[in-house]
Amino acid sequence: MRSRWIVGGGEYLDLVYHAWKQASREEDVQKIEIVQGEDYEFDFSIFKQLSPDNGDVFIAVDDRFGNFKRMELFRAALERGFVMASHISASADVAKDVGIGKNVFIGPRAVINHGCKVEYNSVIHAGVQLGANSHLRSSVWIEPGVQIGSGVKVGAHAIIRTGAIVHSNIKIGKAAELGWPQIYSADVADKTVYDIRYDEPIYVYNH
Amino acid sequence: MQSRMLPKYYLSQEIFDREQAKIFRKVWLFAGLSSLVSENNAFITRKIAGIPVVIQNFKGELKAFENVCLHRSAPLQQGFCGRRALVCPYHAWSYDENGSIKHIPDCDALYRFSDAEKQSLKLREFGLKQVGTLLFINLSDDPMPLEAQFSPKFIELLTDSSNQYDTEVMVTTWHAKFNWKLVYENLRDLNHVRYIHPKSLGQALKFQKHESDIFVDEAADPLADLSPQGLRTEMRRFSHAGAEDAEYAQSRQYAWMSMVEPWQGVHGYYNWLAYPNLHIASGTGGYSFSIENHIPVSPGETDVEIYYFTAKKKQAYATSHQVLLTHMHYSKKVVGEDIAILEAVQSTLHHHASIPRQGAYETQNRLVERWYTTLMETDHEI
Repeated sequence: MRSRWIVGGGEYLDLVYHAWKQASREEDVQKIEIVQGEDYEFDFSIFKQLSPDNGDVFIAVDDRFGNFKRMELFRAALERGFVMASHISASADVAKDVGIGKNVFIGPRAVINHGCKVEYNSVIHAGVQLGANSHLRSSVWIEPGVQIGSGVKVGAHAIIRTGAIVHSNIKIGKAAELGWPQIYSADVADKTVYDIRYDEPIYVYNH
Repeated sequence: MQSRMLPKYYLSQEIFDREQAKIFRKVWLFAGLSSLVSENNAFITRKIAGIPVVIQNFKGELKAFENVCLHRSAPLQQGFCGRRALVCPYHAWSYDENGSIKHIPDCDALYRFSDAEKQSLKLREFGLKQVGTLLFINLSDDPMPLEAQFSPKFIELLTDSSNQYDTEVMVTTWHAKFNWKLVYENLRDLNHVRYIHPKSLGQALKFQKHESDIFVDEAADPLADLSPQGLRTEMRRFSHAGAEDAEYAQSRQYAWMSMVEPWQGVHGYYNWLAYPNLHIASGTGGYSFSIENHIPVSPGETDVEIYYFTAKKKQAYATSHQVLLTHMHYSKKVVGEDIAILEAVQSTLHHHASIPRQGAYETQNRLVERWYTTLMETDHEI
């Protein structure tokens, strides 16, 4: 029996592990926790025990460090020859022509309409609605219940948190974080962060 | 010892207006970073001491004007910063580097200004100085020399360190409910760190106070020299730079540190306090910096504008903004702890509140208070 190694950490690792376990009857699904050291760096030695000949991996790291930590592990697995299939929940409603990259997670009851594109290493949690012809670039993180209109472009590494509603035909810049529960009806510049703990958005200049 | 600070200094609108007139419209105030206005037509807008200001780049030359069109009082530039010629969005009046009219569309047909009238139109201009990459503005008609406000050593340290700032800057503003002076009283009182920040700053830094630092209470006597010169000389003592006797508990190295050229010659926590409302700190031994600019809004409200950046990057790297965001969130925790206690202090104040009791270690605050109350209670000016 081939293995399915779910590599990552925290609550998201648990969530992905159970999702794969429920979906895969012919695979030996295993959870592998990878720890970050005091300097926040990963210990990649974990990959020494895994071989693409015996199984495949799925990288399950949350949005920490702007999704860059998930990206780092994704790259490490790619370099080691792993295929990294995506996981689409059986209850998700994904249109036939939707393009989905490697290591994408699509949670239960997510609705992804026709013409959408979801690039590699992105996470779409339960109940997210994505309107037609929207395009998510790589390594984005969309929290449960987020509603995104049609024709929306979401930049790489962007984070959209529960409570956000994104109007049709707008552009969310790369590494932007939409954390205020509100309607976003205008383009959001790259790296602009709406964090609920702050009184004003956080802006980055000269990046 | 009883403090000189009566409740009214934190509560009264009349005192607030007097502060704005006698301090904030007289001294050099932080106005931004030159890296935000480095290109032709780049601008930043501010509201400083109640006055809307635009700092605009005219082919490399930086100028500061009142950000109000002379025609119908519309703001000439809008937003925190951007890149756009100095043209009013309302009726397209444009201005040159002297603040004079460059062009009024259909001037002869619609306005019929005489040449003399047109030439008399000029935006109100303010003093602007660049210290390294820091911009300082002075709203006075007759600005004091920058050297009257800051010592040569302080200016040198600001210049040298700020020239090492990276241009990628993260900025946000917190709206705090306290009087701006409470922040600076707090910054001059390092004894609070172990109680207010036991799990954050107090873990990383151990501030020490030595016996030798506790001077005689010079502030017990009234100020001797009340001339503008004397008051300025006294004020110069309130701005200083240094390592604050902080013992750095850890010298943790992070991956991003190898990507930047640190400012040389510092270890641990270094900070610059520029009177009245600018605090710059490096808690990473010159690898990264924060600027806190406290903008008085009303007696009980202060905007805390915060900038984060590292030292100059050796080369661009993909996660640099995340490094800044991590710093920002850490500082949100530490400064959040300060804001919480200062808002609590402000909330206890009323006009008959008891006067604070100070100890021997609070000499710096006592000196500032002596100067401040002299300025508020007399007609002497700086």
